Amino acid sequence: MKSAFRIAVKDLKLRIRDRSALIIGIIAPLVLAFIFNLVFGGAFDTGLSLAYGMVDLDQSELSISFSDVLEEIAADDVLALETFANASDAESAIAGGEIDAYYLIEQGFGSSTVSGGTPVIEIVGDVDRPTSTEIAASIAQQFSTGVEATQLALATTAALGGMPTSSPVAAAFSYQLTDVSAATRQLDPTTYFAAGMAIFFLFFTVQYGVLGLLEEEREGTMARLLAAPIQRSSVVSGKAILACSLGLISTTILIISTHLLMGATWGPPLGVALLTIAGVLSAVGIMGLVASTAKTPEGAGNLGAIIAVVLGMLGGVFFPIGQGDDLLSKMTFLTPHAWFMRGLGDLANDAPWTAALPSVAAILVFALATGGLAWILLMRRIRR
Amino acid sequence: MADILTATGLVKHFDDLLAVDGVSFTIGEGETYGLLGPNGAGKTTSISIITGLLESDGGSVEVAGESIATTSTKGKSHIGLVPQDLAIYPDLTANENLLFFGRLYGMGGDELAGRIDEVLEVVGLTDRRDDLTKEYSGGMKRRLNIGVGLLHKPRLLILDEPTVGVDPQSRNAILESVEQLSEAGMAVLYTTHYMEEAERLCDRVGIIDEGKLQAEGTRRELVSLVGEKDKVSITGSGNLSASIEPIRAFDGVSGVSSSEHHLDVLADDAASILPTLLAQVTETGGTITGVEVVEPNLEAVFLHLTGKALRD
Repeated sequence: MKSAFRIAVKDLKLRIRDRSALIIGIIAPLVLAFIFNLVFGGAFDTGLSLAYGMVDLDQSELSISFSDVLEEIAADDVLALETFANASDAESAIAGGEIDAYYLIEQGFGSSTVSGGTPVIEIVGDVDRPTSTEIAASIAQQFSTGVEATQLALATTAALGGMPTSSPVAAAFSYQLTDVSAATRQLDPTTYFAAGMAIFFLFFTVQYGVLGLLEEEREGTMARLLAAPIQRSSVVSGKAILACSLGLISTTILIISTHLLMGATWGPPLGVALLTIAGVLSAVGIMGLVASTAKTPEGAGNLGAIIAVVLGMLGGVFFPIGQGDDLLSKMTFLTPHAWFMRGLGDLANDAPWTAALPSVAAILVFALATGGLAWILLMRRIRR
Repeated sequence: MADILTATGLVKHFDDLLAVDGVSFTIGEGETYGLLGPNGAGKTTSISIITGLLESDGGSVEVAGESIATTSTKGKSHIGLVPQDLAIYPDLTANENLLFFGRLYGMGGDELAGRIDEVLEVVGLTDRRDDLTKEYSGGMKRRLNIGVGLLHKPRLLILDEPTVGVDPQSRNAILESVEQLSEAGMAVLYTTHYMEEAERLCDRVGIIDEGKLQAEGTRRELVSLVGEKDKVSITGSGNLSASIEPIRAFDGVSGVSSSEHHLDVLADDAASILPTLLAQVTETGGTITGVEVVEPNLEAVFLHLTGKALRD
């Protein structure tokens, strides 16, 4: 084992002098993640920026309660709310792009509930922002439904000779924010692209370790290694140790730097560490298999690049692949990349580190299967 | 003189090709043994088995009393290998190359540092020890290649055609180094297809062709196999090879071989056959530019034993 580490240290020194491992392992994924995030980040953004206005000409208890509801939502940073004295000011704000839509509550809104009428909340929206207007309408609709239900409950209670137990206004409307990303294992765009580039380039980075075996053959140094009084397995182990080390170092640097520089939120460190280790092992296994079948380092490099790109695309590192029943959605899980991304998705939104374990297990299956086969073939290769 | 290397009945097949066919020889302490043969004769395959790089299909190897196989570790520590191809890391300095390989042989600390100084002195690279070896000339790389093989003070040093592609000055330096090592008591196995190197360096020579050891002995013993024969060496141009078969049928001719500009003939009496010989070469399209009748040497021995020249 000591010999394996000596070989790994020697190779690490060569790779550091070479500098290509540094570029492929750290700089390229960092730059690409940054660019991808800039270019495509908006396409993934599920959170709309909502800005509404409120024109309350009624100032009744009911209209104020609606304003309170909107302010409560605004306090959760879901929307921005601005109050206007009249409709004309609000329309000017829409025209100026300050708000997307405004609510207009005419006088008599509150009294209409007492008289058995239907309270009307008018919504005036920007024609260029239909989604925001639709959301504004939905909020008003839900409030209106709540008012109707409360009216019905109050009428029923009165008919039975009882007393209402809560204020009709307080009971009129309640809302709950549901984080859609948790249900769909959706990473935020920054983390998504950072993770995608990390696992994608990991396969190129570990090549620098694995292909060292073929380079020893080409450079003629393999003969000297095999003639030395060391176990032959030390030669293969040395390359595997270097590949794992390069993969772990580059991914760790990427995780930390994307967190610090781009604000990527990777999740609980232990879960991320397990996913990273499993990802590195699978990359070493797959690229080891490539090396065992190639005749030259160049051939292995080319084949490895093709496999890395295909697996990366299939694994959804550039664009998320849906989780439906179609063939592509099923095939994506034939790649460790998809499991890596899924594992990180499982860790999102304050999930515990154990949420990543199913994905870790799946990735380790890839690592064991490909790594085991690669070991057998590489040992056979150096036995000649 | 105790035997450091004992190779017995080595056999190696590559599919249908019998690359090594029952090769046996020994090398004693302080002895330089030359394995002489043309390219493809089985020299490199033989030493690959001896160094434990290659599994043999038959036979056995012992170095300093330790059995050698691909999985051996103890026996391998007695062997220093200088492969035919350069086996150093171009992006490491000479010092770093020697440190790495020294550690693989279990050396370390002051012992290794001191030994590196000695080896660099022997191969004349002390001044360039901290330069990356990719910046070295071909000869310097060759010298470092030998230095790595010497580093751990092996009982047996194996040099596989160490002067191939080397300039004359570096070649001479390499040969001098081998002579010094032999004088210092190291057993040396030296493979070459250069007859002059074998004659200069080796106490004994094994002549190998088509995987078989055709003969072995001192230079004197081998030359005596040729008897009183003369070697006629004809230099020229044109179709020299066309005369091979007619000359082979001459009385008193025991071997003929040719290359692009040479024709070598082994004959009982060169003087009597020379006029006919030259006429035959001219008749079959050759143009003669020089003729030399030389005493039998190892090349003549090879021609006598195999019917072909070393350079074939």
